Amino acid sequence: MDKLLEVKNLKVEFRVEDKFIHAVAGVDLQVNANEIVVLAGESGSGKSATALALTRILPANARITSGEVVFQGRDILGLTEKELINIRGKDISYIFQEPASYLNPVYTIGSQISEVIVLHQHKSRKEADELALGLLEQVRITEPKRVFFSYPHQLSGGMNQRAFIAMSLAGNPKLLIADEPTTALDVTIEAQILELLSQLQQRMKFSMVFITHNLSIARRISRRVIVMYQGKIVEQADTAAIFKSPEHFHTKELIAAYEKIGRI
Amino acid sequence: MKNNPYLICGIFIIGILSLAAIFAPLISSYDPSQIDSRSLLSSPSSAHWLGTDSLGRDLFSRMIWGARISLCIGIIAVGISTFLGLFLGALAGFYGRFIDTLIMRFCDIMLCFPTFFLILAVVAILEPSIFNIMIIIGLTSWMGPARLVRGEILSLKEREFIQAETAIGCSDLRIIVRHLIPNAAGPVLVNATLGIAGAILLESGLSFLGLGVQPPMPSWGNILIESKSTLGIAWWITVFPGLAILITILGFNFIAEGLKKVIG
Amino acid sequence: MSKYILKRLLGMIPVLFGITIISFTLIHLAPGKPTTLDQALNPKVSPEIRLKMVKLYGLDKPLVSQYLDWVKRLCVLDLGRSFGDNRPVLDKIVERIPLTLAINISSLIFVFLVAIPVGIKASLKPGKGFDNFTTFLGFILFAMPTFWLALLLMQLLCITLGWLPISGIKSLDYEYFTLAHKVWDRVWHLILPVFVSSLGSLAVISRYMRSSMMEALSQPYIYTARAKGLPESKVVYKHALRNASLPIVTIIGLSIPGLLGGSVIFESLFALPGLGRLFYEAVMMRDYPLIMAEVALGAVLTMLGNLIADISYAYVDPRIRYK
Repeated sequence: MDKLLEVKNLKVEFRVEDKFIHAVAGVDLQVNANEIVVLAGESGSGKSATALALTRILPANARITSGEVVFQGRDILGLTEKELINIRGKDISYIFQEPASYLNPVYTIGSQISEVIVLHQHKSRKEADELALGLLEQVRITEPKRVFFSYPHQLSGGMNQRAFIAMSLAGNPKLLIADEPTTALDVTIEAQILELLSQLQQRMKFSMVFITHNLSIARRISRRVIVMYQGKIVEQADTAAIFKSPEHFHTKELIAAYEKIGRI
Repeated sequence: MKNNPYLICGIFIIGILSLAAIFAPLISSYDPSQIDSRSLLSSPSSAHWLGTDSLGRDLFSRMIWGARISLCIGIIAVGISTFLGLFLGALAGFYGRFIDTLIMRFCDIMLCFPTFFLILAVVAILEPSIFNIMIIIGLTSWMGPARLVRGEILSLKEREFIQAETAIGCSDLRIIVRHLIPNAAGPVLVNATLGIAGAILLESGLSFLGLGVQPPMPSWGNILIESKSTLGIAWWITVFPGLAILITILGFNFIAEGLKKVIG
Repeated sequence: MSKYILKRLLGMIPVLFGITIISFTLIHLAPGKPTTLDQALNPKVSPEIRLKMVKLYGLDKPLVSQYLDWVKRLCVLDLGRSFGDNRPVLDKIVERIPLTLAINISSLIFVFLVAIPVGIKASLKPGKGFDNFTTFLGFILFAMPTFWLALLLMQLLCITLGWLPISGIKSLDYEYFTLAHKVWDRVWHLILPVFVSSLGSLAVISRYMRSSMMEALSQPYIYTARAKGLPESKVVYKHALRNASLPIVTIIGLSIPGLLGGSVIFESLFALPGLGRLFYEAVMMRDYPLIMAEVALGAVLTMLGNLIADISYAYVDPRIRYK
């Protein structure tokens, strides 16, 4: 299996007023080509910070204090901003938790997707619009033209998330980082989105890091699970193994949390 | 707590000003109306620290007394407007519906009138006097505090613990004292501080036009009337009163800014 | 969207009524009521003026019918005749509108051209040099009595340096100028007044722009924009700015009362024949019909300004435009 992404000893610090919080305290992980990995943990475990650090889009009060992020043989932490722009949205793209908040409310869905295509595929606006419509069809939106001209506030959560997925695929990424994409959605919609992502991955063969606090999702889409707790990785194994014999107490807690609700 | 440069600076400035105003009779070396026909329009000297005007009156003394008048007008006018505003705002917030609509409409209508126009019109009709000015400024500036208080009451009404307290049977008075006053006091105080600054500015504008404090009673605004005719000849008549107004307003603005930081 | 506009327009009606009521109340503060005719409270109001007032406003009739008469007259724009020169008030006002309008619009344009870039730049590096400097400057501008600054600038630029004319709207030998020279002469006379009347708004609007931008830049969709690989300039000027400028639209409308009020002092100082100066002269002469008309006009203009601001906002924000 080709190594797509290798993270070594990543440390991220946040400055809150006068204190420093070590959100990510030495993380080693690896993502291979054509693979889905679930990154699980409770809120505050550092999973989102890790995700944002991978392309250095952390907020202004955060700093990467050490480590290496090697993507396709290049250390991202050593690249210039200009070089990074060529990777973001193109080789590595993101999906976020609340699509309505993460989409710009004053531009149409279509224009926000076309923007990526114009930027990374160097097409004209007209060509980009056509391709964007095509992408909207691929994420199984039944009225792509209507959605294309809609604004985020006019669409439902599930619809917005599909559009967001279309936008994230517009640059033909090799790695898709999904930060809790279904946490804010209904259970039925969640199932649809998970299935969609699964099928898209099988067809387009990109790798995906799926971040969640719901371990049961791993059973549905991925073969490998990484568990984070308080900024560190505490357990890594195949999905089946993790559920059969979890080792770390936090992994057990995560499993128990969802078993109680009866989701597994 | 005192890591608040704005507050400290502001209190310092206004403190000195207030002391000067209170102890005016002791500080001013001359009587403000005293005419010294030997030194008409003389530049600042050891005899007359800030020079004299065209009638030979000592500028420094006039300015100290002017401070007294301006501060008085500012404080009383704001006292009136705050009191009136609190009363109307509370009525609107507590009784809601018809009374609320009525008062808020009244508020909207009053806000349509350019304050200066309104005040000038009333002054023209009722003749300028310190008393009139204070009342008029007070009667035309109540809208700010009224909205603040009403807003605070409305948001309190929404909060669940208030509904709980009312259900238990806490009296309205208790709710007012324990919740409304602490929450509303801060913004109202900030508003009042800025209001004093605004009132002083208004009064100086009115006096400058000859419709405010009437000579021979000195006000920084009406001292500036002379500067129109002495431009180029007696710079001290233009510079000092204006500087005084500037520093005073700045002081109040600093206090307001500092208060905002304290409130959070 | 059109429903929104309709609602707003209908909402204007009670406000208009309120404006007339308040203006009417103002008149009745004036001495000259039949009951006070005997009191010599106000020596400035001569018996002739009192009689005029009584006749003009029908002060001997019951209040309600007086009010209705007045409103009826307002509807046909009969604002009465000026006490000063007996010309119709409406004419006197209309001939002064163009100048005041020109000055205030130029002022607003100037403010926007300066305040918006300053606010944006300050928001990009908050707490650093440029931001601190402009905040400090803003405080001073906001605290400055602008008529004082006008005096200082007149002293410096007009008397000492002689770069700008001290007053009026045209030079003495205006009639002999070429067309181009005439245009320039007008502009030259208005430079200082426009500049000075903008200063108050400059501080406020740049501050608003700054906080609006900072708010926009902290929103989640900015992460998305960066994650998409957009260069920082596009993130700021395309994604953040569009959102940040929405509230600024309303501020234009809200600046109107301030500009109108300020024009009284400026136009008097610079001897410009605009609405503000007209108002000042009316007040000095106790020309009540003129005063009343201008106060009501000021209120109506403010109300229209607010209306335009609200509608503009509804138009540019897709969340309201497409409900």
